[in-house]
Amino acid sequence: MEVFGQAWNLIILEPIINVLIVLSHYLFSNFGLAIIALTIVVNGAMYPLIRKQLSSSKAMQELQPKMAELQKKYAKDKEKLAKEQMKLYKESGVSPAGCLVPMLIQMPIWIALYQSIIRLLAVTPEDFLGLSQYLYSWSVVYSALPLGSNFLWLNLATSDPLLLLPLLVGGTMWVQQKMITPTTADPKQQTQSRLMLWMMPLMFAFITLSFPSGLALFWVTSSVIRIAIQYFVTGWGGLVKVATPKSPDRDKKYRKRIAQVEEKTSEYADTGADIVEPTSGQEEGLDYGQSGDNRQDRGRGDSARLKGIRREPGRSRSHRPKRR
Amino acid sequence: MEIKYNRVLLVKVLLFLVIVLVCGLSVFGCVGRGSIPKGWSGGVVADSILFLGSMEGKLVAVDISSHTRLWEVPLETSEQTSGFGCAPASTAVAIYGSPAITEELVYVGGYNGKIYAFSVGKDEPRWIYPREGNLQPIVGGAIVSQGKLYFGCSDGKVYALDAADGYTEWEFQTGSKIWATPVIDSETLYIGSFDKKLYAVDAATGEEKWGKPFETQGAIISTPVVYNNTIYIGSFDRYLYAIRITDGSLVWKSEVKADNWFWTKPVVFNNTIYAGNLDGKVYILDTETGEEIVDAIDLGRPISSSPVLVDDSVIVASEEGQVWIIDTTNNQKSELKNLEEKVYASLCASDGVVYIHTSKEELYALNAQSGAELWTLSLRS
Repeated sequence: MEVFGQAWNLIILEPIINVLIVLSHYLFSNFGLAIIALTIVVNGAMYPLIRKQLSSSKAMQELQPKMAELQKKYAKDKEKLAKEQMKLYKESGVSPAGCLVPMLIQMPIWIALYQSIIRLLAVTPEDFLGLSQYLYSWSVVYSALPLGSNFLWLNLATSDPLLLLPLLVGGTMWVQQKMITPTTADPKQQTQSRLMLWMMPLMFAFITLSFPSGLALFWVTSSVIRIAIQYFVTGWGGLVKVATPKSPDRDKKYRKRIAQVEEKTSEYADTGADIVEPTSGQEEGLDYGQSGDNRQDRGRGDSARLKGIRREPGRSRSHRPKRR
Repeated sequence: MEIKYNRVLLVKVLLFLVIVLVCGLSVFGCVGRGSIPKGWSGGVVADSILFLGSMEGKLVAVDISSHTRLWEVPLETSEQTSGFGCAPASTAVAIYGSPAITEELVYVGGYNGKIYAFSVGKDEPRWIYPREGNLQPIVGGAIVSQGKLYFGCSDGKVYALDAADGYTEWEFQTGSKIWATPVIDSETLYIGSFDKKLYAVDAATGEEKWGKPFETQGAIISTPVVYNNTIYIGSFDRYLYAIRITDGSLVWKSEVKADNWFWTKPVVFNNTIYAGNLDGKVYILDTETGEEIVDAIDLGRPISSSPVLVDDSVIVASEEGQVWIIDTTNNQKSELKNLEEKVYASLCASDGVVYIHTSKEELYALNAQSGAELWTLSLRS
């Protein structure tokens, strides 16, 4: 455990602490600007991961109607359901771990950033003494300390007396969360979505009431950057009822795969049944260029389409051609 | 075994991650923020009584001949809370500086921004400064000279109070917070500040001496030492400085640059300065030239407690609790004792005995020559 702690300090914590000090020195001895600058830099460095996470997350959401169908279809056979779900993921090229792995990789970075800011604010003598063991031997590091803790109306080492920061933290996190929250007709999923939407912003707003403003500044900056990235990757998402998202190539790839899978599924369904011509509404539902509530429409479209699948009298399962 | 991936599982995992993150942040916040300052008061001996502040926020008087607690009195209980489970509803007042003593009173400053004056044996303070409200945290120690009590404060001011009644004599503003203990020599007070400057102030009037303060490239926390009309001070810029007492001009800046901050007060003896550093080394320099007399003695662990001179030996403790003796005749070190407890408080010596207050609230009395443990006393209630 001690080795892990030392490695953590050496590889992650010390570089961040020293870079923050240097940034502060060159940004007019302003620690607030240093926090904002480093948060931007770190987000920039992690952009591929963040984008992958968002794209995967979106692709997962787009698979939800198919998932719902499978859950309905194999409600009594959990084993089969799991197999079919895995099959669907595999065929659509979407990995559920695609959203978790990037998130897991980012978490240590966020925690290290958090720890660095806390250590640099070093309010108590114990903290300040502890900080001395994380410093590089660069002269600029030694001359820059202690860092000034004033930024705008804030003392970065104490909580915001005007309570603006908790509001900003909660507000920006809510917007960010709302953008990635899918709209769904399933009441159970709606409850979970609502929980996710409100829980994190409220918790962070609450702890901002008592935590140093420097951390809150970091959270607000992170959220604003994430909102911007999310907008460019997935559009406004759940924030607006109808919106045309900016879809990068990667999303198109996912959509294409999903469309292919759906076609395949349709072919399977077709093997023993005729397909009723889709209505214009169903066709709209198949348009994957839409997002937000349209996904819900799409879900209904799929469902309606499946309802439209009916066996032609006189044709039995035995007539089903063998699948190759 | 196949893993069942679905949205419910995903949401649960995300919820779990959020909870872990928030809890983790809270824990790191509590730890990193050091929400509960604990203090590390060193001791002062007078008439066979050792006065020091305990980590429970008490001023304690120990009879060093019978090694028993004579008297103890708690400072006020802090009302400050940090919320979110980081601190209890109230905490003891942390005491970092060593107390100051006169024939009548004992003075001690608290991290709650108050100075207390007690008559020994009395539970009620004679006076408290300020009478109402609090100053910023007081980290350095207080000193008494010619009826005045002097101390520096985190609000960047040096305060001079009437030692008898605690009324303000004068205040002197520096550019940043002060954690250092002042020193007085020939009616002049010298004190370092986080603004990287060393100030010389008229102890009677509070007026600044020299044309301008002496400036280094790093914050100054350590207490200066005055020796042969020269002030010796270590800085966060990792250099030691010798400054003329008359006009604040530089005599020398050490050629050697340490690897970390000079945090503690140096010891000067026989034209040699011994300065402990947070890089774990004791730097031994010639007071006249600033050149290293011998290579720095490496104790292996940071030195954050001020060393003490006993006869012709310098006793120094590392943060990890190893106590060393440096023979000033040959500048060789040898281990006196390994306390195996953290030591941050300044060492204190009297009649060949060294008193060490550890972070586990143990008070050790060691024979300064042999390192024999004479007695220990727990300062816990």
